[in-house]
Amino acid sequence: MITAVQKPFGEIYSMVQGVPRLLVLGCGTCVTVCMAGGEKEAGILASALRLANREKGVSMEVETDTIERQCDREFFDPVREKVEKADAVLSMACGVGVQFCSEVFAGKRVLPALNTRFYGTTEQQGVWAERCAGCGNCVLDRFGGVCPVARCSKSLLNGPCGGSQNGMCEVDPKNLQCGWQLIYDRLKLLGLLHLLEENQPARDWSTGRDGGPGKIVREDMVLDS
Amino acid sequence: MDKRIVAFCCENSALRAAQNVEDPAVLEAVELVRLPCTGKVEIGLLLQCLERGHPGVLVLGCPVDNCKFLRGSSRARKRVDMTRKILKEAGLDEERVRMDFLSSLDAHKFQRIVAEMRARLAAGRPKDAEEAPAEEAAKGGRR
Repeated sequence: MITAVQKPFGEIYSMVQGVPRLLVLGCGTCVTVCMAGGEKEAGILASALRLANREKGVSMEVETDTIERQCDREFFDPVREKVEKADAVLSMACGVGVQFCSEVFAGKRVLPALNTRFYGTTEQQGVWAERCAGCGNCVLDRFGGVCPVARCSKSLLNGPCGGSQNGMCEVDPKNLQCGWQLIYDRLKLLGLLHLLEENQPARDWSTGRDGGPGKIVREDMVLDS
Repeated sequence: MDKRIVAFCCENSALRAAQNVEDPAVLEAVELVRLPCTGKVEIGLLLQCLERGHPGVLVLGCPVDNCKFLRGSSRARKRVDMTRKILKEAGLDEERVRMDFLSSLDAHKFQRIVAEMRARLAAGRPKDAEEAPAEEAAKGGRR
């Protein structure tokens, strides 16, 4: 899933100043799972905004709603009326949702309440960690299912570097495991250590960020116009 | 009539303590909400109480090491701490929401907690010296 964290309240509050009618719009998928922008979080943020406004004597109507996803057009239908009534939407979706909400409601100001972080997993309740960098050319078969692009701080395909000490990464030796130690341990467990003897050639990064904004077209799925 | 302080009480401890309070003025000052465990409280619920005009909110549960449901009080404490952080960031007095821990026999402590809350609310932002971190209270330090 895509993970995110809420922006500092002060930043959000500055963003919404001068908006008479605000819709705080939660997203019911990834950011609900990572407890950053779901129905519950939208309610909490809306409450905090109303309380702050009352304390400061600011006049602002704060409405709240949550839709299933903000990255698919059809889910916006139930809130169309609320969005049209609002002067701005404070989206609690990831960056994709914020942008798509803005596209669906062209002419409506859509503001981000979250900072989008990474593609990650829930390691335990309240702890999320990165697993995929979305590079567009998966190499997990060669590394025992541990991604060197996402989990090595330097994205080395021929690691480890000299900064790996006692299984930890020099970028943050207290908290960050060395991705290459994880790769080694996993391949050893799988009896596939010989895979590390292969030299990985320089790769083509054009399927990731280096290739510009990505787009996927499935011709067999595209509806005829 | 002015809105009263809302006291979310664990039915295994704080609620029983409240039922043994003899001073009617104390009970008139609070609106008791019975919970099976303080682990049931949610941040949004605490904020909604303030939004609806209640001056303060108390979350009163079992001591952390003696919670009937083992982790309910410690979970509630984290949520109360987060609520206080949100209030502070929003420019409100975080002392409007507090958690305290007491046993079913602590009627006197219940009275004192309510009296202290009323005094804090009447005085506005309390002095630093009067602040007692929830963690300290959780260990039963404030008798």
